[in-house]
Amino acid sequence: MLNSLHVEGRTLLHRLPAGPKLALLAAVSLALFFVQSLPILALSLAVTGLLYGSLGLSAGEALKRIRPVLITILLFALVNLVLISATEALTTTLRLLSVLLLAASVTATTTIAAFMDVLTKLFLPLERLGLLKAADISLAVGLVLRFVPEIAARYEGLKEAHRARGLPVRLSRILGPLIISTLKDADSIAQAIDARGIRGQ
Amino acid sequence: MTTRDLVLAALFTAIIIVLGLIPPVSLGFIPVPITAQSMGVMLAGTIIGARRGALAYGLLVLLVAIGLPVLSGGRGGLGVLMGPTAGYIFGWVIGAFVVGLLAERFVREGQPAVRQMAGFFLASLIGGIVVVYAIGMPVVSLIAGTPFSKVVMGSLAFLPGDVLKAAIATLAARAVMVGYPLLPQKA
Repeated sequence: MLNSLHVEGRTLLHRLPAGPKLALLAAVSLALFFVQSLPILALSLAVTGLLYGSLGLSAGEALKRIRPVLITILLFALVNLVLISATEALTTTLRLLSVLLLAASVTATTTIAAFMDVLTKLFLPLERLGLLKAADISLAVGLVLRFVPEIAARYEGLKEAHRARGLPVRLSRILGPLIISTLKDADSIAQAIDARGIRGQ
Repeated sequence: MTTRDLVLAALFTAIIIVLGLIPPVSLGFIPVPITAQSMGVMLAGTIIGARRGALAYGLLVLLVAIGLPVLSGGRGGLGVLMGPTAGYIFGWVIGAFVVGLLAERFVREGQPAVRQMAGFFLASLIGGIVVVYAIGMPVVSLIAGTPFSKVVMGSLAFLPGDVLKAAIATLAARAVMVGYPLLPQKA
């Protein structure tokens, strides 16, 4: 149900550690924001496009991943074409497409575990301030992934129960029971976590 | 933060993700299809309160960032967080916090039902619509280069759907308050 967007591979981007890769993405995106020259932006689109294309994704899968944002960007391109000058509209569109392709490349070449390591490091200063515990982040992520399929099944069950009683299936009717029945588990889950000393308390 | 707070936030994040799996519905009188997922901002704030609600959404953004397709329509990955509509996604975190903050002040147990519903609805409108739009729209204008006034006009198309979501969230929040109250209450 929730498959990671990571793909296996041995390309340069795959081998680069997650930290530097994310720093590179941030730096390039920020730099592109200040570039106004069309040739440079066209070049960056070509480079990021080649990069994204060389990751070993099938053409269909590669397109499917970026389609929602791609549509948004193209929609804004059309609107901008009417509202601002064609050069400005083209500049923005090329920039947004480059950033999209680079970001999608980083996402495709970085495992969840590598991301979590970087995040834990990023959160360490906050941990020193006593604001949160970095280990709690991975615990929470694990909990979410564990419960999504279960809540989805519960939603289907509620739908069935409504149909069986001849009631129309309406979100406004299902939300209450869905949320109450899910959150009622919180106490026993929290007790199970504490009983095992997972948070080290 | 207690373990229970952490678990409640994580369970709510999971609920928000499931809401994103439900196919968007088109209502005849609104030009854009509405997804159940952005209603989560209002639900999180009114049901589990400001801190846990914001935590639930922070967790959602984190899952998007590490490359899981958890947003409605199977969107996910860093591309979404760097696209034109990124402001709305980050705005959800602050929106959920504001909804919670207001709900914690407006609503308490033992009030008449109408009073509670009015409190939830107002909190959802301010935090879930005003705050989210106030963060999302300037970011669209900044990233996509579209003039701000036009972005505002375009966003109006989403307003009826969002007001409807606030109404549905109000019903759900009141149902949970009656059945299993979790909202911290402040004077």
